[in-house]
Amino acid sequence: MDTKVTTKDIFLVFLKVGTFAFGGVYSMLAFFERELVHKKRWLSHEDFAEGVVIGQLTPGAPIVNTGIFIGYSLKRLKGALTTVIGQVLPSFIIVLVIAYAYIKFKEIALFKAIFKGTGAAVVGLIASVVYSMGRKILRDYKGILFAVIAFICLSVFKLNPIMLIVLSGIAGLIVFRGEKT
Amino acid sequence: MEILKFLWVIFYINLFTIGGGFVMIPLLQREIVDHYHWLTNKEFIDSIAVGQLTPGPLTIMNVFIGYKIFGLWGSIGAAMGTYLPSIIIVTVVSHYYVQFRDSWIVNSGFQGIRPAVIGLLAAVAITLGRESIIDIQTALIAAGSFSIIAFTKIDPTFIIIGAGILGALIY
Repeated sequence: MDTKVTTKDIFLVFLKVGTFAFGGVYSMLAFFERELVHKKRWLSHEDFAEGVVIGQLTPGAPIVNTGIFIGYSLKRLKGALTTVIGQVLPSFIIVLVIAYAYIKFKEIALFKAIFKGTGAAVVGLIASVVYSMGRKILRDYKGILFAVIAFICLSVFKLNPIMLIVLSGIAGLIVFRGEKT
Repeated sequence: MEILKFLWVIFYINLFTIGGGFVMIPLLQREIVDHYHWLTNKEFIDSIAVGQLTPGPLTIMNVFIGYKIFGLWGSIGAAMGTYLPSIIIVTVVSHYYVQFRDSWIVNSGFQGIRPAVIGLLAAVAITLGRESIIDIQTALIAAGSFSIIAFTKIDPTFIIIGAGILGALIY
């Protein structure tokens, strides 16, 4: 591993990721790989793949977590913090500007109309996430059963979703013990 | 201190956001809208739109929520509450990652959590749909955004922008 990587280098690369990587996780991961593995050669393809897996198995935004993993392997805690600040700073500033405008112009008809459109699109977006995750993950009756039970517990019985995530993890330990992913 | 309560909510929600940024949505909806009434469902939907509009992860929507409720300090606090759990846990996990990745507890737990999360998201899509699909036009926008995102490789950011423009033209 290149030991001459400085915190500033890390910051600049992740700032670039945070500024130009829009939307989808996969486009961002491709961007990461091109910058860090192929161009800068800070880590091997295998290390990067580990980082992607860790990012998905830990709480929070997977892409941020993959960044933390990479930053930590380069420069320990300082590197980890740097990747988060670099990745988050551009969108943080943009969000502040939008939030300011949102509160200020909320009552203007044009603003209301725009958010009426985006609101409907958000519902379609969440539905498409359900669809694409479902196609990938719900492969047998056990998985489908987990999904249906969670759905009913939230929409009919209004149980706490955090509790449902914890319970489904525990149920997973019992039901899927010894199975390979 | 209402803002401390808010920071704590953001912190523990992110601790349980396992399996992708979207998992946060049912949890946030429950706490921020249903429980504490800090936002209406409508404002919550707008927060998701803003989170998706900006580059970077969807979780940045917490910053919008923080600003909306508590101003600048709310937004800074929300950013810390959002990313602190990640920093702590990933740093620890990075240290032991091979054991962690291969552990049966992690793997079987995830096999239960992943499908359950789909059920939770489906439920919240219905709740939010009741709020924002109010006529034929919004129903068409929702159906259009679903089909484009589900069946093409077009970035959702552009869909949200397009839907905003459509909204401005129609209403």
